[in-house]
Amino acid sequence: MPQMPKIATWHLPVPDVESATYWQGAREGKLLIKHCNACERHFFYPRAACPFCWSVDTSWRESSGRGNVYTFTVVHQNDLPPFRDRVPYVIAVIELEEGVRMTANVEGCSPDDVRCGMRVRVAFRDEARSEDDVVSLPVFRPEG
Amino acid sequence: MPGIKDRVAIAGVGATRFTEHYEKDHEDLICEAVDEALGDAGVARGDIQAIWAGIYYQFTGLGGPAVADPLKMYGIPVTRVENYCASGMDAFRNACFAVAAGVYDIVLACGVEKITDQGSRGLPNVREGAHPFLPPASAPAMFAMSATRCFDVHGWTKEDLARVAVKNHANGAKHPKAHFRRAITMEDAVNAPEIASPLGRFDCCAVSDGAAAVVITRPEIARTMKHKDDFVVVKANGLSVETANPMYKPGFEYLGFPATQTASRAAYDEAGITDPFEQIDLAEVHDCFTITELLNYEDLGFCKKGEGAAFVRDGLSAPDGPLPVNPSGGLKSFGHPIGATGCRMITEVARQLQGRAEGVQVKDPKIGLAHNLGGPGAVSSVTILGRNDTL
Ligand SMILES: [Zn+2]
Repeated sequence: MPQMPKIATWHLPVPDVESATYWQGAREGKLLIKHCNACERHFFYPRAACPFCWSVDTSWRESSGRGNVYTFTVVHQNDLPPFRDRVPYVIAVIELEEGVRMTANVEGCSPDDVRCGMRVRVAFRDEARSEDDVVSLPVFRPEG
Repeated sequence: MPGIKDRVAIAGVGATRFTEHYEKDHEDLICEAVDEALGDAGVARGDIQAIWAGIYYQFTGLGGPAVADPLKMYGIPVTRVENYCASGMDAFRNACFAVAAGVYDIVLACGVEKITDQGSRGLPNVREGAHPFLPPASAPAMFAMSATRCFDVHGWTKEDLARVAVKNHANGAKHPKAHFRRAITMEDAVNAPEIASPLGRFDCCAVSDGAAAVVITRPEIARTMKHKDDFVVVKANGLSVETANPMYKPGFEYLGFPATQTASRAAYDEAGITDPFEQIDLAEVHDCFTITELLNYEDLGFCKKGEGAAFVRDGLSAPDGPLPVNPSGGLKSFGHPIGATGCRMITEVARQLQGRAEGVQVKDPKIGLAHNLGGPGAVSSVTILGRNDTL
């Protein structure tokens, strides 16, 4: 009988050729974003070609990890493990200083205290598929 | 470019009740809706030359046989159309284009979705379409992002959202085919459990099953059918597509949906509408969430940006107001069997223009609008219909 996993892992990302560097960076505590060497713009989510000029001449940059909450919601209903044990939790659109946007959970404060425009800084939450397969998920916490 | 204005007519409409049809599958539902539409037009299955069917979920059915098999209508073109929550109205659009092109005389647009019995609360399998970098967000969570922004920028409140729910449920209470047929109070809406704040239970439409169908032909043929001269004329359809990942789009404001703005402008241009508030007599719009209806008012040009909350507060979208919105009760009362909703809206607007609405009848409408919005604001379809005397 194979042992059934005790924790839900379906929601964890599976790194692929375009995102492996990003997830490796996260394991090292770095938030990596893509930079287009042709039009000099940053973009998120990471992918091979620039979404603004379609150049494939792109490189990785480390984000300052600082930004603000553009908008958010507090999720109160979600039946799926592991989220059903986490409600209420915050999903926010974060605008990083570099101008790119990403979505992430906001932690480290009461959901009631999250506001649009709130200054936040990246942190990483480790979740494990197994003992030797850990994913570090970027989350954001209030700055200061 | 002749377009479709005044060249396509609706000769008959039909719809099932929208509810949790645990005793029926998608085959029962599509047959019921199509039979009602064919009976309404006074035509037989054998008169139909082509079918476009809006279906979103793979488990409802794949390919043309999803509707050809239950209807036993073989040997003619049958096309399954999927375009998120606008699938039904996109099926209608394709059917209209085929008639306007002169390829067919009588065709059918329909939509069906069988969502209950899938072992899930909320929409099944939304995760499959979610982006790998996105923490799993439900449909309520995606639209709540807009509500949060509107609260922050415009000062809107949960009461502003609640007014949409109270209006639409009051309308739906009078419609025999609505899923929910009970009026609610402001207190019910404001105090309901939170789903994805600031959206509570009454800010969200339900998951329902249902089907709807529309018989489409040319005006000169419609005159020879059951309703004689009292058919409905298609004035325009606009369809617009934006990104399915607006959360990564710099500059996306969450204060409206560009797809609705461009789809409605295209439809208005073709229909010759320059002042939608004055020229449109009723609208069935996509109120998947209360916040969506408030933003639809603005995106459809019924009022200016930021005035959506005032539009419902001042009674402008009430059934006896200058521009009744969702007199059927909308998605709030009907729920949203995804592929079926667009054709149901067409059905409602057509019946209103013929003065035979099944629920609240708007007073003497000449021009009506139907609006679908799909995904996180990613797809919008806007249809303008006119009474026969607008021809
Ligand atoms: Zn570029």
